Amino acid sequence: MTSVPYTERSAKPNGWWGMAVFVATEATLFGTLIGSYYDLRFRTPHWPPPGVPDPKVAVPLVLLAVLVAASVPVQLASVFARAGRVGATQLALLTALVLQSGYLAMQIHLFVDDLNRFSPQDTAYGSIYFTLVGVHHAHVLVGLLLEGWLVLRLFRGITEYRTVGVRATAFYWLAVNVLAIAVTIVQLSPSL
Amino acid sequence: MRSRPERLELIWAERPGLLGWLTTVDHKRIGLLYFFTTLVFFAAGGIEALLIRTQLAGPNGKVLSPEAFDQVMTMHGVTMIFLFVIPMTTGAFGNYLLPLMLGARDMAFPRLNALSYWLFLGSGVFLYAGLLMGKGPNCGWFCYTPLNTKEYDPGLNADFYALGLIFNGLSTTAGALNFIVTIFKLRAPGMSFNRMPLFVFAMLAVSLSLVFALPPLTIDLAFLELQRQAGFHFFDVAGGGDPLLWQHLFWLFGHPEVYIIILPAMGIATSIIPTFAKRKMIAFPLVALAELLVAFIGFGVWAHHMFTTGLPVGALIFFAAASMMVVIPSTIQIYAWLFTVNLGRPEFRAPLLFIGGFIALFVIGGLSGIMFAAIPFDQATTDTYFVVAHFHFIIFGAAVFPILGGMYYWFPKVTGRMYHERWAQVSFWVTFVGTMLTFFPMHIVGLLGMTRRVYTYHSGFGWDAYNFVETVGAFILAAGLLIIFANLLWSRFRGAPSGPDPFYGGTLEWATSSPPPSYNFAVIPTVSSPYPNWDRAEAGVALDHGHETAATTVRDGRLDEVLKMPAESGWPIVLAFAVTILFIMLLTAHVVVAGIFAGIAGLVLVAWHVHEPAEG
Repeated sequence: MTSVPYTERSAKPNGWWGMAVFVATEATLFGTLIGSYYDLRFRTPHWPPPGVPDPKVAVPLVLLAVLVAASVPVQLASVFARAGRVGATQLALLTALVLQSGYLAMQIHLFVDDLNRFSPQDTAYGSIYFTLVGVHHAHVLVGLLLEGWLVLRLFRGITEYRTVGVRATAFYWLAVNVLAIAVTIVQLSPSL
Repeated sequence: MRSRPERLELIWAERPGLLGWLTTVDHKRIGLLYFFTTLVFFAAGGIEALLIRTQLAGPNGKVLSPEAFDQVMTMHGVTMIFLFVIPMTTGAFGNYLLPLMLGARDMAFPRLNALSYWLFLGSGVFLYAGLLMGKGPNCGWFCYTPLNTKEYDPGLNADFYALGLIFNGLSTTAGALNFIVTIFKLRAPGMSFNRMPLFVFAMLAVSLSLVFALPPLTIDLAFLELQRQAGFHFFDVAGGGDPLLWQHLFWLFGHPEVYIIILPAMGIATSIIPTFAKRKMIAFPLVALAELLVAFIGFGVWAHHMFTTGLPVGALIFFAAASMMVVIPSTIQIYAWLFTVNLGRPEFRAPLLFIGGFIALFVIGGLSGIMFAAIPFDQATTDTYFVVAHFHFIIFGAAVFPILGGMYYWFPKVTGRMYHERWAQVSFWVTFVGTMLTFFPMHIVGLLGMTRRVYTYHSGFGWDAYNFVETVGAFILAAGLLIIFANLLWSRFRGAPSGPDPFYGGTLEWATSSPPPSYNFAVIPTVSSPYPNWDRAEAGVALDHGHETAATTVRDGRLDEVLKMPAESGWPIVLAFAVTILFIMLLTAHVVVAGIFAGIAGLVLVAWHVHEPAEG
């Protein structure tokens, strides 16, 4: 009765499930923002309103491609962590971290640039535009912090807890990528 | 060599004294913390209700000024929904019972569980600080725009509302996440999905609803704060905003919320009925599906709160039809409860009486609810006391009665002592009569044209006598509640010892001692039906060498992993404290200081995760 007839875990670990539920609630958050965007958009014939430039298409799309490409090393990190390869995991996470940090830095540059051209306080367009894009950037920032934290923790070796952490973070980045695609399409929709 | 219970006690016992309560991660202690905290808020909300009823007892009441009435009325609604019913059903009942019913030793994320509680406490204190400063929320619980804009509500009142509810939502989301993963992963070996107790199905439905319903509210409130404090435009027409956006997002949360309130009550009913009817629930799979279906349909009916806002007729018809559909899963459950009692050998002790009262009140409130699905009727009665009558039958009658019955039912489990049966039955009848007297006449004054939220009225409309009866009823109701709590308090110290299983219940919480030990089960049971306590005992899993519990596969409940569980931790309360300061700084528009506290919260999270459970 005391000995447990148990081999390898076959179900997903608790940490992964916790992240899955968290991602579900995050996705609903973004769904609500996007729904609100279109609710406001279809109330007015001029979107963006007069005096506000149409969003530029090329640079955000290139950045989006970079972000999506960065999910390859993140997923690899998950595979390496499960195989117990500490160094490879760290390297993969760092690669992703560099790409994604570059993405975020460029995006913040664009964000400030937009702020110089129109303001969230002028019209509903500016309000929802900056809120939607800003929340997405915050979402990316959380992912960066998670990766940075894991890289540091992995210097002290790999444990089951940290492996689950890497897997959960990899899942988080999948969600960030899907949401990034949705947000970018919405953001650029007036120009498309 | 120590015996197994002694060994487990050494592994699982937490620090004694106050520090133990502040750093606890034991789901039972967290459940009790929730229980007592929500009772305090229940008392506050009850006093607010009595103030409202005293003000409205006769025409031209002068107990409260109009400004005070607005705040008291708003805080009554906000308290009862966000600080009483949800934390009581999920935080107290869910926390205490769920791991016991699943045969687990704790929740999936014990420290997150502690964090949920401390965040909840912080948000409650935050909201009440507003009221005590005379700046409490004052725009009704759904706080419609443009009433909630800076222009018409210049004080901090609506800011307390918006930030307080975002804050509260953090706690509730963390709790719901924890419940879902616990239900998915920590069921006792053998407990496949179809062998889960119906209470657990109800909690699963509630948690899923919360995870998907709270984000629209959070966004709505964040829009409101951005508009009020930063000058954004979301709801004002002049800036290109849409006033109806507020209502859409609010009710996209607000209607699932109704089922979030009612579903745990249904879960409690499905726990109490089989025990006292001495048979398994009729139509078990249908009831389980109905619980999930109620939660699902709840997301498709929000615009029935907006039938008078000028939505297109096609949209109105869709939402009216969807609202009618809710009748189906509700009725499945009502008939299943009634037939289970009818086909069993029912013993009408206090918990079952409260469930009987619940069914009666739920049917009354449900029937007036169906009336609102008829668009012309809704348009005629909207914003009258008829609506107030309807939702109090649902929220007080249908949601709170099972909570009260559940308090009696699980009292022996939590304390190891029996409540006083005779006085418990008296308390039921007093509460039931008080409820009917308070809320039934509201239907009539509503049809006579009395609008909701008025702080006073003139005589001569034919409302006076009904209002007086309602006020008398409210005080009878309060007396009934006081009898309940006096009974429980007396029994806590003087009640007869109950033993582990005084009612011969079917689910696993009755398979351990009362009160349960810190490790819940000396041997984690294996399960072969939804009523394992009624089956012959089977061998289980001991796990008595570490701070461990069993994890099983999501669908079939096969034993899958031995989990090392985190022990007590001070970080949750520290994090909750940092977040509380963060919200106070947001309220007073000190954005930089708020940012600093967000950073501190981040550092606390780092410290929290440095200690990994597996390192033990």
